[in-house]
Amino acid sequence: MFDFRFYEIWRSEEFVNTLIEGAFNSFWLTTVGGICGFVLALILVLMQDKSLFIGIRLTSRIYVEFIRNTPFVVQMFFVAFGLPLLLDLQWSFHISALLAITLNFSAYFAEIVRSGIDSTPKGQIEAAQSLGFKKIAIFKDIVLPQAIAKVYPSLTSQFIFLFLTTGLISEIGVEDLTWAGRFISDRNFRDFEVYLVLTGIYMCMSWMFIFLLNSLKQKAFPWWGLK
Amino acid sequence: MKDLLTPLFGDFYGNMIAILLNATQWTIYLSITAFVGGGLIGLVFTILKISPVKPLRWFASAYIWFFQSIPLLMLLFILGLGVPVFFQIDIPPWLAAGTALTLFTSAYMSEVWRGALQSVPVGQWEGGKALGMTFSQNLMWVVAPQAIRIATPATVGFMIQVIKGTSLAYIIDYNDLMRWGKKIANSQLDGAEPFIVFPIIALIYFALCFPLSCWSKSLEKSINKT
Repeated sequence: MFDFRFYEIWRSEEFVNTLIEGAFNSFWLTTVGGICGFVLALILVLMQDKSLFIGIRLTSRIYVEFIRNTPFVVQMFFVAFGLPLLLDLQWSFHISALLAITLNFSAYFAEIVRSGIDSTPKGQIEAAQSLGFKKIAIFKDIVLPQAIAKVYPSLTSQFIFLFLTTGLISEIGVEDLTWAGRFISDRNFRDFEVYLVLTGIYMCMSWMFIFLLNSLKQKAFPWWGLK
Repeated sequence: MKDLLTPLFGDFYGNMIAILLNATQWTIYLSITAFVGGGLIGLVFTILKISPVKPLRWFASAYIWFFQSIPLLMLLFILGLGVPVFFQIDIPPWLAAGTALTLFTSAYMSEVWRGALQSVPVGQWEGGKALGMTFSQNLMWVVAPQAIRIATPATVGFMIQVIKGTSLAYIIDYNDLMRWGKKIANSQLDGAEPFIVFPIIALIYFALCFPLSCWSKSLEKSINKT
């Protein structure tokens, strides 16, 4: 009854190359999108600072809530098909995918980083103030590193969760891992095996991301957890 | 519905919004199916995960780990495209989408609930045991009532993930809001450009999710207060 034919996938060199290329595309799009999203998230968090004009704070809040409460597909289709028409510009679908991933990731990261900043002990800020730190320096050198180190595990798991949704960018024609799977299954009609293999590759890639992010943590915050 | 919307938004947009709202009901049905089904299966695996029998715990851990690390998209492809081809059976899109989302939900729900159960102090378990309660009595009358209060905000919060997850079901031809929205956006009609249609769809999803998000936040606040 069970007639697995995995060899139908690696029999052809074209299929294997497509898979490797797809995995590579998924990797760099998620990595670059994640980094850009993190930078945007920091800007969003800065915009929510209490000393700023309420309009700026509200813009940031509305943006975060809107992105977090709508599906990634809708955002992606808007960025890929709506924005170019609206702005009368043309750009490649890779850029659209990157932009969609950046916008999507940034809202989730901003929410997590903000919760970390909110939980920074007041004494830290007061101590820095009494030592004569400037406001920007307090945020950059005291509050932010501690906040990020504290919420780092949440950021990692959110990143992995979001990475697992990025397969959707194949829907706008970006040749990522999911696209490679569809490409192969459209040719050898072994959908079941192809998607099982794809699932395995996705799992391996998320382990790789976890490993990379954990080693990054030890590099970036060696003081965290020390007494 | 249409008679109400046409005077508000004009003939064209009234019609379009009526179609989209009509399709939204399928999104809601799928969300409820996934949430109820996933909740029930998740409950079973939560209990297995904390049960005193070791193999059952391993089985539950493996299940939760597997369905948490596999992308929802792959689950939909496997159930909606892979299984019908491999086993030569016909699976309607609603069944495939419902099953995929149920499995996805159950894994995350049991993880949330296990965390809540384990956050109940061990003394409560021991107290129940000292009173001669069995494992199931202890769970039902002592620990679960305390855990439910802790777990509610995250559970409500996860409902948002489920609703957003249903938007993927259009890939296997489930006729929900996303699919109809995409059809309209592809229709080349004047006024149905992607930059108009997709924000409308986004707003409908937002209207579904935002109340839940607010509810989850207020629940969290009320727990932190006491």
